[in-house]
Amino acid sequence: MYEKTSNSIKLEKVDDYRWRIPQSYKPGMRVPGLIYADEKLLKDICQDKAVEQVANVAFLPGIVNNSLAMPDIHWGYGFPIGGVAATDIEEGGVISPGGVGFDINCGVRLVKTNLEYNDIKDKIKDLIYRLFSDVPCGVGSEGDIRLGEKEEKGILLKGSRWAVENGFGVEDDLEYTEENGAMQGADVQAVSGRALKRGRSQSGTLGSGNHFLEVQVIDQLYDRQASDALGLNLGQVMVAIHSGSRGLGYQICEDYSRSMLGSLEKYKINVPDRQLACAPLNSNEGRAYLAAMKCAANYAWCNRQCLMHLTRKAFEKVFGSSWQKLGMFLIYDVAHNIAKIEKHEVGGIEKKLCVHRKGATRAFGPDHPALPEKYKRIGQPVIIPGDMGRNSYLLVGTQKAMQETFGSACHGAGRLKSRTSASRSINPDMLLKELESKGIIVKASGRNTLVEEAPAAYKDVNDVVEVVHNAGISKRVCRMRPLGVIKG
Amino acid sequence: MREASFKIIEHTADIGIRVKSSSLVSLFKCAALAITAISSQKQKIQYPKKYEIVIKQEAEGLEELFVNWLNELLSVSSAEALVFEDIRINQISEKFIHAVAIGIDIRNYKINTEIKAATYHQVKVKKIGRIWQAEVIFDV
Repeated sequence: MYEKTSNSIKLEKVDDYRWRIPQSYKPGMRVPGLIYADEKLLKDICQDKAVEQVANVAFLPGIVNNSLAMPDIHWGYGFPIGGVAATDIEEGGVISPGGVGFDINCGVRLVKTNLEYNDIKDKIKDLIYRLFSDVPCGVGSEGDIRLGEKEEKGILLKGSRWAVENGFGVEDDLEYTEENGAMQGADVQAVSGRALKRGRSQSGTLGSGNHFLEVQVIDQLYDRQASDALGLNLGQVMVAIHSGSRGLGYQICEDYSRSMLGSLEKYKINVPDRQLACAPLNSNEGRAYLAAMKCAANYAWCNRQCLMHLTRKAFEKVFGSSWQKLGMFLIYDVAHNIAKIEKHEVGGIEKKLCVHRKGATRAFGPDHPALPEKYKRIGQPVIIPGDMGRNSYLLVGTQKAMQETFGSACHGAGRLKSRTSASRSINPDMLLKELESKGIIVKASGRNTLVEEAPAAYKDVNDVVEVVHNAGISKRVCRMRPLGVIKG
Repeated sequence: MREASFKIIEHTADIGIRVKSSSLVSLFKCAALAITAISSQKQKIQYPKKYEIVIKQEAEGLEELFVNWLNELLSVSSAEALVFEDIRINQISEKFIHAVAIGIDIRNYKINTEIKAATYHQVKVKKIGRIWQAEVIFDV
């Protein structure tokens, strides 16, 4: 048997794209770990503590099949970033706020246009500057959408629908958003006053860090049938929006990570990391967190809906035409930090599971009832943004993902370098020049963000997507390259 | 050594700090002010009014208290749009802290890095000989 060592863990090679952490690695692991990676990516993955974290997640009560890791996996807190874990609710399965993260429903949406590269090549700078001026971004940025307590509560319950009802989008946008832009069962009573206060001023804002708004062009098609179904062609201009639930989500995660420390003792749960604090889904603590998490998830969908509205308006100003005439229709919106109650087969039996996706994207295969009619034949669109200097991808989910990964795939390129190391080694002026020489215009609120998010700080998304595609857990549809980016 | 100092710990996705101090009081204070140092840069003061916020936290143990303390400061600074420039700790034990955080309007600062929260992942607070040492990883 081929083995590879990460610190003290011996990984067993399952095939070219899967590596197993044996359940015997640590007493207390309830299932093995399974990492999707090739030899090249595995080398980087083994550099930090991510593999150990995959093993730690395997301690969660009720976990089934494997503690999974996608090829963009890197060291996080509690869960690795790029981790997927499903727990069986009827078998004492738990939910862990650390398995969702602070930025609840951080996610990405992809909007198409009927513009081609030649239509915009002389206007890219104007467009990026207009977007930077019209889309609030940066740390603690406040939006133009001023909310009272009542409006905010409406958002937490209705998600994207609140935005559409208030003129920030159209009904069709909901059809092409995961969960139609709102999870049912959100309960505002489960959200603290502090969380509500933090969320009130930040609706309709991009935020900072790795959040961005990017104008892209399709430079490679892989799947004609899926491209046709999605109405996509080579040279077509696209827009990707990456944001989350802002301070509201951070506070909910903090509130419940803290209170669930008590649940560990109460329910006699043994986990090797306190950030994996959790409670059974069938407990008051578990139900309360899920209801609060849904509020933050709905807030995030509404946020991205509002950001898309501002983007459409900015395009209208620059191109002097309505967004409808510019063909700015939503391809899809996916969450990549979330826990969902879903039905999956485990050992040939359908089970109700709580699927945690921490830095992982839902990737449901064709014919899944959760998909819009238009996508039933091709599978769910899976949007994978890369760094600001390389590519992004659109893929579709597969039946194999349903069988192996609870319908999940990767969520991005995955970090390679720490922020501090990136800041030390990258000069922001040189970086901007380098990107401009590639035809990429970048506007960022802070120089720090710029260097921390530089391409060199990330793995190559092309490698990550190749593993996902070759392992069969999603299928490439097209590749985009960036033309312009705004960063918080 | 100086009364207290901190260093950045490398982490692939996030940022950690290691704090060393001669006392528990200055350890907690130094970690709190490290947040300001990491995340923000003072600009010309246009809004000089200072705000005193009472912070009280309880926990089952010192490490949990340390994380809760930092999270409360992050949370209040975000909710009230303040940057904390000084800390006065009135009382501290293994399970309790009572302090006053002195803040100034966030608009006096340029915020470089958003710290979402302090995590319990690999948190350490211990006394080695006469020196207090703490480590914590922030989600950024």
